Amino acid sequence: MKLKTTPLSDEIPTSSMADIAFLLIVYFMVTTTFAATRGLDFSLPKDDDTPPIVEKEEAVLIEIRPAGDLVVDQEVKQLGDIFDYLKPKLERNPKKPVIIKPDPEAPYGQMVAVFDVLRRIKIKQEGTAVQVYEIDLRAIQKAEEEGEESDLGKDVNVSIPTQREIESFWF
Amino acid sequence: MRLKRRHEAGAVIPTASMADIAFLLIVFFMVTITFEKDKTQVALPKTELRFEVPKEAAYISVTDNGQIRVTNGEYMSTPVPLDDVVSFAANLVVEFPGRPVVLKADNNVPYRNIDKVIDSLKQAKVEKIFLLSEQRTVDASEG
Repeated sequence: MKLKTTPLSDEIPTSSMADIAFLLIVYFMVTTTFAATRGLDFSLPKDDDTPPIVEKEEAVLIEIRPAGDLVVDQEVKQLGDIFDYLKPKLERNPKKPVIIKPDPEAPYGQMVAVFDVLRRIKIKQEGTAVQVYEIDLRAIQKAEEEGEESDLGKDVNVSIPTQREIESFWF
Repeated sequence: MRLKRRHEAGAVIPTASMADIAFLLIVFFMVTITFEKDKTQVALPKTELRFEVPKEAAYISVTDNGQIRVTNGEYMSTPVPLDDVVSFAANLVVEFPGRPVVLKADNNVPYRNIDKVIDSLKQAKVEKIFLLSEQRTVDASEG
């Protein structure tokens, strides 16, 4: 009696290997949560810094009410009006401090929004001529592409005192 | 004249290298991935300006119900009470001098909590903090 023999293939079947690998890629891509890696930087006073002596009347005071409304120097203002209000003051005195004083009940997001507006205001000073202007994201990106040489101007002197500091220094 | 019969073209797509390519991609993704030390989900505030946060940074997350989690960037974040943030920050400054602290706080947190956190960081002499934010588009801010 003759037995039938099937010829054995001497190749390793690798055709499904790619499918498995791509499945793994898709799995990792789906499970990866993108981390938010950008934000506003905010320098705290250094150890050796002497606390700047600021007259309360000299500074621009931006208060944030519990509902999130803004009160700039005792006047209710919109977020978009801050630049126009500050421009003449900063042109006269580029070092004019701006104080953000959020109410303890005010939402954190509103404080960040005000800080964002203030950080977008840049001051360029050449001799006695002072230029105050607002920048946007595109200007920042352009400056990043051109390298560190490009000068956007100086920041506004913003301070966000904490409740403890307000209690111990202001009253 | 009789032409030689053309050699039959194989109807097989060579897929042997496909797996190599795919595994290379996997390796690439595995190498470039940075693991988040803090996985708290918060609704971040939106800002127009955003600067890149350094990779080596400590994180403090504050959720809208006031829960705080901290990590110095070396281990996964752990929950701490508000009053212990100052001791966390003091340890951080001693262990990793100059390391920035990233504040990942929810949009709607009452400012009281943030105030306390920033005050703790100031007391511990942290030099730089980052307020983590999402991108606000230019159009949205005008509307």
